[in-house]
Amino acid sequence: MRKFIFKVLVFSLPILIVSVAFELLIRNIPNDYSYKKEYLDENSEKIETLVLGSSHSFYGIDPRYFSNNTFNAGQISQSLNYDLEILKKYQGEFKSLKTIVLPISYFSFYSSLESGVESWRIKNYMIYYDLNSSESMLDYSEVLSNHVKVMIDKLVSHYGKGDKSIYCSNLGWGTNFKSENALDLLKSGEISAKRHTVLDRESEKVKAEFDKNKLHLKSIIKWSKERNVKVLVLTLPAFKSYREHLDGEQLKKTIDATESICSEFDNCIYNNLLNDTAFVASDYFDADHLSEIGAEKLSRQIDSTISWNNQ
Amino acid sequence: MLFNSIDFAIFLPIVFALYWFVLNKRIKDQNFLIVIASYVFYGWWDWKFLSLIVVSSILDFSIGLKLKKEENQVKRKTLLWTSIAVNLGFLGFFKYYNFFLDNFISAFSFFGADIGPSSLNIILPVGISFYTFQTLSYTIDVYKRKLEPISDFVGFSAFVSFFPQLVAGPIERATHLLPQFYKKRTFDYSKAVDGIRQILWGLFKKIVIADNCAEYANIIFNNSEVYSGSTLVLGAFLFTFQIYGDFSGYSDIAIGTSRLFGFDLKRNFAFPYFSRDIGEFWRRWHISLSTWFRDYLYIPLGGSRGGTLKKVRNTFLIFIVSGFWHGANWTFVAWGALNACYFLPLLLTNKNRNNIEIVAKGKVLPTLKDLMFILITFSLTVFAWIFFRAENIGHAFSYISTIFSSSLFEMPYLLEEGTGRHILPKTFLLLIGIFVLVEWIGREGEFALEKIGLKWKRVFRYFLYYSIILAIIWFGGKEQQFIYFQF
Repeated sequence: MRKFIFKVLVFSLPILIVSVAFELLIRNIPNDYSYKKEYLDENSEKIETLVLGSSHSFYGIDPRYFSNNTFNAGQISQSLNYDLEILKKYQGEFKSLKTIVLPISYFSFYSSLESGVESWRIKNYMIYYDLNSSESMLDYSEVLSNHVKVMIDKLVSHYGKGDKSIYCSNLGWGTNFKSENALDLLKSGEISAKRHTVLDRESEKVKAEFDKNKLHLKSIIKWSKERNVKVLVLTLPAFKSYREHLDGEQLKKTIDATESICSEFDNCIYNNLLNDTAFVASDYFDADHLSEIGAEKLSRQIDSTISWNNQ
Repeated sequence: MLFNSIDFAIFLPIVFALYWFVLNKRIKDQNFLIVIASYVFYGWWDWKFLSLIVVSSILDFSIGLKLKKEENQVKRKTLLWTSIAVNLGFLGFFKYYNFFLDNFISAFSFFGADIGPSSLNIILPVGISFYTFQTLSYTIDVYKRKLEPISDFVGFSAFVSFFPQLVAGPIERATHLLPQFYKKRTFDYSKAVDGIRQILWGLFKKIVIADNCAEYANIIFNNSEVYSGSTLVLGAFLFTFQIYGDFSGYSDIAIGTSRLFGFDLKRNFAFPYFSRDIGEFWRRWHISLSTWFRDYLYIPLGGSRGGTLKKVRNTFLIFIVSGFWHGANWTFVAWGALNACYFLPLLLTNKNRNNIEIVAKGKVLPTLKDLMFILITFSLTVFAWIFFRAENIGHAFSYISTIFSSSLFEMPYLLEEGTGRHILPKTFLLLIGIFVLVEWIGREGEFALEKIGLKWKRVFRYFLYYSIILAIIWFGGKEQQFIYFQF
């Protein structure tokens, strides 16, 4: 028995050592999540406007154009449950917070980070945001939740080539979607709309997801009300190729639910900018994401809405 | 709990340590641990369905005890049929209720009658087909007085729920597995090492071969209308390796895990794709199920004795029932019937037992004749798997009709997501080739890796094992459930 265990341990040791080394080295690489967490740890007391949400707000709302102290805590595929988790994590520290900007997209009620193809990002919240909402052990380890090829690429890119690993500005805005690299708006609109459309809307699973997300939105607004914080709920502008391929029913249900929830609370305003004609083709990176040009336009618009509401 | 999960990687060493270091003094304690560990293993998926296993265990345990005391043949038969009815009742309800209801409604609507009842939202409990057959084997063997019933409920529960083979077999016979729960278990180093090697090979089959095949086969089968006949052949070929890698991989992990605890499970696969005829294939594929049906259905029906008509009837019956066991869909029935059609000519010409030994035993290469028969049998099997994998009978026929079109002679391709470019997973196909080669080299063992490398220097042997582990990590596809869980 001893011989068996000894041999198994000896055999496993190299694997264990390599795994631990990979885990430590990868964790040591700075990323958007670790940066945002660090920023919130140090500055949450000063933040007056907090932007939450998915890639739509991550790339579309640039805090530089806000007149007060603003931070973008949005992330690609960040669903409402994670918006709520972030608020809860820093609840005692948001002492200056006056407004939360929360985008609701076409897919917001129909999906969550857990249910989509981006679920691999959950580990970023568990490891770098120190959240512990996931029940899966895999989400607490880089090695266990990443494919080895991805890990090697990361290590080579950071330690070998010295590539940058943070893709957001110092105020949390996503800097990747530059207008000079804009994608084909017509093609990207159709593809994204299809990807965001849920086909089995009547299934029990999707209905439950919808209800859960509504509850998350309510909880965020309620949390804000208790702290005298206003919530500006927005549906961000999208190019017509995206809008035209959306499913009318899914969109209507999303808008109706958002309006209905916001109407329940006096600290909440809902602005649907989906069809806002002020945004033209040159404002977009792809059909449902703004470039830095569109982000400036939208951020200034939101800032004036906030200022007007605060008067 | 999945074998290819981190949960199991933690669970197994804990149970192993408790089993050999803490509770190693008494068999009863070890059996109790097996029951608890098995319930945790099963409950990890859904603890509510544990009640079915408990009910099955209590029922068959008590019926076994009553069968021992009861001498009246009518009463004994009633007891046996109670067990069969309850066990198959569970299976029928959870697995076949909606199928029968839907077909019943369709049949009535065909004649113009519109009837109301609608399908229930029934979840199929994982492994129900496996443990039901295992407990049934106990009751039937006790009834036939082939086995003495046991009076220890913990030992019996351990037999029913033994976690390595609980959810996807091998389906163990009470006569084979049950006595092992009452034998003093001593740790056997070579058996345990063998177990680890079998687990490693099973993981390779599942994670590298089956999961990657699944990715491509799913793309092709789910979009069969847009692909050429040659690509559909590739899809069927990949599914052939997916199902083998998946199921035999599971069996290898199950058998290997059992060895770590001092148990011997039945062999479930014996290199079926090297078979030279369908009779041989069925002696090498899912052996524990085939022999179960042979002993508890085919032979009681008369087997291959009697007239031609009886032989034909029994053959079709066993293959169709076996197909239906896999799932509530006409596709499985068609798959079973097709295999019966393949097998019947061999049976009627008394050639079904021509190939008993493994092909080219003691030789490096097969004869040309053997190779030809292997390829024919393999092709027939690939063709039959189309029915097994298809969504419905219509899908199977449209898939087959596309295969037999002029596009069969085009170069096979897959459409790359996003770009729509034509691609072919050449590296992976090469990997399948290497896999077949390793299986060929190791075909005289219980599993491919059993004898490979045993006489090599340690450094080379370790190199082989690390290469397999590296392949598992490197080629590890998306974590997929084991196919046979749904059965």
